[in-house]
Amino acid sequence: MSMNFSEFKKLIGADPGNRDAEILLARQSAPEFESAAAEAEAFEEKLQVALNIQPPADLLDQIKSISQQPVRQRNWIPLALAASLLILFGAAGLVWKQSQQWDSVESYIADHYSHDGSTAVAMAKENISDQDITKILSSLDATADSELSGRIRFIKFCPTPDGRGAHMVVSTDQGPMTIIYMPKTRVTDGEIVDFDQMHALLVNLEHGSAAIIGERSQSVESLVSTVRGSLKTGFVGA
Amino acid sequence: MTTETERTHRFNELAEAYSTDLYRYAMWICGNDALAKDLVQETFLRAWRALDSLNDVAAAKSWLITILRREYARTFERKVPRFTDMDKVVIVEVDELEPDERTERDLLRKGILKLEPKYRDPLLLQVVFGHSCAEISEQLEITNSAVMTQLFRAREKLRAQLQKDGVTGNVHELF
Repeated sequence: MSMNFSEFKKLIGADPGNRDAEILLARQSAPEFESAAAEAEAFEEKLQVALNIQPPADLLDQIKSISQQPVRQRNWIPLALAASLLILFGAAGLVWKQSQQWDSVESYIADHYSHDGSTAVAMAKENISDQDITKILSSLDATADSELSGRIRFIKFCPTPDGRGAHMVVSTDQGPMTIIYMPKTRVTDGEIVDFDQMHALLVNLEHGSAAIIGERSQSVESLVSTVRGSLKTGFVGA
Repeated sequence: MTTETERTHRFNELAEAYSTDLYRYAMWICGNDALAKDLVQETFLRAWRALDSLNDVAAAKSWLITILRREYARTFERKVPRFTDMDKVVIVEVDELEPDERTERDLLRKGILKLEPKYRDPLLLQVVFGHSCAEISEQLEITNSAVMTQLFRAREKLRAQLQKDGVTGNVHELF
C-alpha cells in the first residue's frame, strides 16, 4: 500500500535524511512528493548552517590538559559518614536546601565550586598569558597587578549571582587556591562559608567582591591582602 | 592491561572526536558561551575519571552526551537565569551566504533558542550529532513515535517562525 502525502510529509519532516526504500519510492511517485522532499532537504541545509558554531580555539587543548593533571582523590569515608548522618536526620533538610537554589551568595559559592572548582584546579598550568588575564579582567572593569597576576594559573569567565564574573586559580605556597571575582555582588565581609571539604572567605572590594576558596587545610586568609591590594576594581581602564 | 599512555591516548581521541559537537550542543541548550565551555570541560573531566567504565567505543558519543545532559540538569537548569549571548560567539561563517540568507540564518538561530526543550533537544541530537530517531529515543528515554512527532513539530515551528518574519519583514524585532 502506497504512502499518502500527509504521512510522507510527516516522515521527511521528522527525518529529512531518511533514505528508507519506502520513502524513496514515495518520493518518486508524484511531483508533489519530490517537491516536498527537496524543500525539506533545502531547509535542512539552512538548519545545519544555523547550528554550526565554532568552539573556543583553546577548548580542545584545555580538555586534553585534563589527562595531564593528577585527579584529586576524594576521601570517601567522611563523605559516607556524612551521608549516613544525613539519612539519620531525615530528608527534610535536604529538601529545604535543594529548594533554595542560589538564594544567597553562600549557596552560589558552594554550588559553583562543586560544579567546576576541581576542574579549574586540575586545568591550572604554569604558563598563562598576561593577555588572557588582562582581557578577562578588563572586560569586568578590573585589573590585577603583578603580585596577583603572576600567581594566576587559570582564569575564565563564570556566572555569578549578579552577572558575569571571573574564576581564577592562583598558586600559593600552600598549593592552588581559587578566587571568584563577583563584580556586582556585595557580601558580608569576612564571612567564612564551609562546604564539602572546602571553605571560602568572602571579601568586599572597592567594587563587587571576591570569594577566596581553598581546602580546609589551607589558610584562605593568607590571600586576603593580595586580593584586596592587587585586584583593582571599577573603571580602571578609564 | 591499559597503560596510562593508552588511557590518555583514548581520552584525547574522544576529545578530538566529540568536543566540538558537545560544545555546539551545550551552547544551544544553555545559550551562553562561558556556561557551555564549563559544561564541556566538566563533561570531559568526569569522562576522564570514569574512562575505564567505557567498554564500548561505539557508545562513547551517547555516553558523553548523557554526562553533559546530567551535568546541565544538575548544575544549571534551575539555578542560572537563561541568558543568551549567541551574538558574541564566533560563528562559522559561510562566505557565500547572501545577505538574505544570513538574515534567514540569524532568524533560525533565534528560533532555535526559543524552541521548548522538548522540541529542541531531539532536533539538536539529530542535526548536531547525527543521531537516528532510535538513538534519540534511547537517549531521551521517550518513545520513537514521540521523537518523530517532536522532530516534525520542531521543524514546523522553525519554518513558521521564518515565514512569519519573512512576511512581516520584522527582522529587527527579534534582536
